[in-house]
Amino acid sequence: MEYKAPVESYSGRVVEVVIGRGEKALKIGGENVLPFHFFEGAIANPPRLALEVLDSVPVGWSQWEVNPYKDVVSEPVQWANRALELGADLVCLRLVGTDPTGQNVPGDKAAELVKSVASAIRSPLIVYGSGDEVKDVEVLTKVAEVCAGEALLLGPVVKENYEPISKAALDYGHCIIAQSPLDINLEKELNVKLLKSFPRERIVIDPLSSALGYGMEYSFTIMERTKHIGIMFGDSTMQMPIIADLSSECAKTKQAKESEKQGLLWELVTAISLLLAGANIVVLRLPQSLKILREVLEGKL
Amino acid sequence: MVLIGESIHIISRRVSEAVRDRNASVIQELAKAQAEAGADYIDLNLGPAKKDPVGMTEWLVNVVQEVTNLPLSIDTLNPIAMEAGLRLCKKRPLLNSASGRTDSKAEMLPLAKKYNCDVVISVLTDKGCPPDVDSRTESIMETVAYANELGIPNEDIWVDPIILPVSADQKQVREALEFIKILPDLLPGVKSTVGLSNVSNGTPEELRGILNRTYMVMLGRYGLYSAIADTLDHELVKLNRGELPHIVDLIYKAMDSEPIDMSSLSKQEQDYVKTTRVLMGETLYSHAWLEA
Repeated sequence: MEYKAPVESYSGRVVEVVIGRGEKALKIGGENVLPFHFFEGAIANPPRLALEVLDSVPVGWSQWEVNPYKDVVSEPVQWANRALELGADLVCLRLVGTDPTGQNVPGDKAAELVKSVASAIRSPLIVYGSGDEVKDVEVLTKVAEVCAGEALLLGPVVKENYEPISKAALDYGHCIIAQSPLDINLEKELNVKLLKSFPRERIVIDPLSSALGYGMEYSFTIMERTKHIGIMFGDSTMQMPIIADLSSECAKTKQAKESEKQGLLWELVTAISLLLAGANIVVLRLPQSLKILREVLEGKL
Repeated sequence: MVLIGESIHIISRRVSEAVRDRNASVIQELAKAQAEAGADYIDLNLGPAKKDPVGMTEWLVNVVQEVTNLPLSIDTLNPIAMEAGLRLCKKRPLLNSASGRTDSKAEMLPLAKKYNCDVVISVLTDKGCPPDVDSRTESIMETVAYANELGIPNEDIWVDPIILPVSADQKQVREALEFIKILPDLLPGVKSTVGLSNVSNGTPEELRGILNRTYMVMLGRYGLYSAIADTLDHELVKLNRGELPHIVDLIYKAMDSEPIDMSSLSKQEQDYVKTTRVLMGETLYSHAWLEA
């Protein structure tokens, strides 16, 4: 008798989130099997690869990190288009300039920049605020308003500021990134609270991504458990796609600062690991690691 | 289930200040309130009792015994304080607690024999808390055998499986439950107890009660003999007296994964079902578990 490998089927499915409108629209998640379990079912949408773009000239980047963009680092629109030319599925715009401990760019100015980038590129846009939970309210609600209808993916939305930001995202048609500090119970709590007033189909989970050697296993295990709980156990509050925002975490490691080769390896290995854990979007800095990762995903490596 | 009132606890600021200032009325009010609420024992948690262990313990035992005839549970890891307390108890006390730790076997267990009292023996070992049912079993078999050799019979031993907070390690909640279930087969004749409120440690204060109450009913189903608990929680005492049988039935149903029509239930009943599912490990815990 011929051997037939047993095939699992699961009760849960990851929510399909669509970011961007019209021709730009990009689907995230949607799978009803565990990451890379092609043998158990169809994976609705492949993991999406984003390259990061800053709202201001990068500070503290190594020369080799700046090189692919050295002629456009002061022009976020051109930088974003360069990222897409280099193979990114979408762009992640970081509003680091809005940080109140730095340049403290006001929300309306940041929103104008986001609008100019969003309307100039052919991909949807992820927008991360500075991570200051107070300032992000001003910045992200303004971005939501000015970019109404762009279906941006806005974050981070955290326990302390989810109400005003999610309300603005709801009113102006955007998706949000629900971020929690490497703790699956807090991750669920935020989801439960958001779901009372915000649709599941517009939430992406950011459990925080740590770099290889700097706590990556915590991120890995939380992403893995999120998938288990959502897909295998059917917990509807844990079925949203996951974003692994790992580029800055990898770039700031001692190893990445030492050499280009190590920097590339660090970002690549962290990204592959978190994809295996279940990330649906990864945010990268290096076009070279994006290129290799793409080949891995397409089965060429 | 035998309820051991937990409120005289050195971690409570009111209690620690009253002990420091030798303010008897604060302690006596707490003892009386728990006795009236339905406690069967009064726990006196002395903490490590590093400063003046004998004086502090003797004072505490005396002031409590002035206002209640209930037996006492002397709760400390300090053997000097423990002996000072046991010596003064008018009713047969509970030594709370000994364990499989080397120092505990050497210094605590002999006191249980010497004062012919009941003794809580936890599954803790020199390596900490055993992580699953099998390792809990291994630890307790070893420690109880040691106690038996000292001349302490199973009937005087109250086994404590160590309850960990659901917010910290959800899986452990189920492991402790399974352990209580098999305990009568492992060690015929032993009694059992838990530090019930530990299950809700780390959970927002206003939500702790329902976790404690639900877990008490779940453990009670499998024969838990006693619990160190918040006896000032009126609903907990009522549940324990069998005055809320429909809640107990619901919790059992949820434990058995029977289908439950949530829309036909009151908010209170729904909350008990949701809490049971969290404690059984069927749904992932979050502080918002009642809101989902």
